[in-house]
Amino acid sequence: MGSHDNEDMGFQHRNEGTLNCPSSGMSTNPLPEKVSRMAMSSGSIFKPSNAPDPFFGSGWDPLVSLSQSDNFGGSSVASQSEFTNPPYPIAMETQGMSSTSHLVQYPSDSSYVEMVPKLPCFGSGSFSEMVGSFGLPECAGISNPGCVANYNPNRDGGIDRTSTMGTQSLDDRQVSEEGALGSSPNGRRRKRVPESSPNKNAEGELNKDMSGESSDYLKEQDEKKTKLEENTAANLRGKQAGKQTKENSQSGDAAKDSYIHVRARRGQATNSHSLAERVRREKISERMRLLQELVPGCNKITGKAVMLDEIINYVQSLQQQVEFLSMKLATVNPEVNIDIERILSKDGNLQNMPITAPQFPSLPQTVLDNELQGLFHMGFDSSSNIDSLGQNASRLKPEQ
Amino acid sequence: MRTSTTTTSSGITLSTKSCRIKFARRFLRSLVEIKKQKRSSASSSEEEICKRSKRIKMAAYSSMARAVGPRMNWSRALLFKLRNRVGYPRLVKKKKRVTVRSNKVSRSKSSVHIDRGNKLRKLVPGGKSMDFICLLEETAHYITCLNTQVKVMQAIADNLSK
Repeated sequence: MGSHDNEDMGFQHRNEGTLNCPSSGMSTNPLPEKVSRMAMSSGSIFKPSNAPDPFFGSGWDPLVSLSQSDNFGGSSVASQSEFTNPPYPIAMETQGMSSTSHLVQYPSDSSYVEMVPKLPCFGSGSFSEMVGSFGLPECAGISNPGCVANYNPNRDGGIDRTSTMGTQSLDDRQVSEEGALGSSPNGRRRKRVPESSPNKNAEGELNKDMSGESSDYLKEQDEKKTKLEENTAANLRGKQAGKQTKENSQSGDAAKDSYIHVRARRGQATNSHSLAERVRREKISERMRLLQELVPGCNKITGKAVMLDEIINYVQSLQQQVEFLSMKLATVNPEVNIDIERILSKDGNLQNMPITAPQFPSLPQTVLDNELQGLFHMGFDSSSNIDSLGQNASRLKPEQ
Repeated sequence: MRTSTTTTSSGITLSTKSCRIKFARRFLRSLVEIKKQKRSSASSSEEEICKRSKRIKMAAYSSMARAVGPRMNWSRALLFKLRNRVGYPRLVKKKKRVTVRSNKVSRSKSSVHIDRGNKLRKLVPGGKSMDFICLLEETAHYITCLNTQVKVMQAIADNLSK
């Protein structure tokens, strides 16, 4: 553990020396080596990209700071004499590496980095918004096919989120990661890193196993590195660093609290309103995901509006079904004796008997009976119900 | 629909199996009572059928709400509404609803939420007095309960019609 710390610290110093050279010709080679080493220890993926070069010239602080952290690949970093945070990207990376969930973000991040130069204006948009605007198809082109398999499930979720919920996606990951990491303030820093470092996806390998193991000492390293970075980058970051430190301290304190803490990313407003808004958006997206699982046939829907429409349709259809069934039950002739028997048997049947979803009223009884008989021996199969209900829902869908 | 329990972020469990059993028992009991009433009247005019079907529907919703218990907003609202409807008109007061937290912040960004949120509020019992986040939670639970309700009623209907 200690050796790793030394290693990382060494990286920082070495990087500082190399990165401070104004030579634009400085290749990313030295860095990637270190990065790969870091990757070994932290299991992170690094992807050098020269994309940020034009940005640095623009003096766009948020991006610059982001690319600083992201682009340890260097040439762009080298061009900025002000960049003194070679350790920063690495630190951030290591921070990010500690949890595999962070890795998920890399593909989108790298895509973001590539897209960055093309952006005409970045304004004050958050990093995640940028990522979202670039879309996820960019991610497909990104690296590490070995890691893709792991990325995919998370990425899809992230993609949905970024496309629909803009800043929410990274926030979600942030928050979830924060929750996963518990009350350690280091966890906060780690979370921040992946979001602000698209370049991290650069070449590196993804050692998920390593990431799990290295989480402990990585936290310490991350802390040190972030502190170093913040100190050294004061010139460039200016108030942003100050805000970050404030956030760090706040988040550090907040770690012990029970509510979810959100860290404002660089370039984002850090006033309480936007933070609270982000928390709220994350909550909403969480619940929307849950609803997406409940409503059949909504896995592919991305978008709160469409999702809400589907939910409304589904609830309406269920209520209509209840009404129809109550009408049906009203018309059935009462047979008291049999009722009692059925009461006793139904409770058992309800657990064993497969029930097909009631189709629309026009469906003849015989069809239901046949279906019931067909499924009778399969047991109460909830999945089949979902499928049949899904058919109902699909009918309700205006399109698709 | 899951037979296992699902827990939302707030810890609300969406257990379907126990919910189903409770609902089934209550509903069957109330159904039997309604059937008894029908037997006494012994008329199967359309109006009677309509009334009975409404009663059955109310019975279904009330038994579902009771099976869920008072822990969910929608079940409480449903029970309150049904109790008022059943026969205490003098007790029906214009309950001062908790004003929906007008999402001023989000309005500028997404009025989509507001429009559809209002629609959803009308559908989910008790939705008017909840903010959007709670509304989504309640909707999730409500959907699972509606699912169980539909399935149980379908099973009963099939059994009775055989």
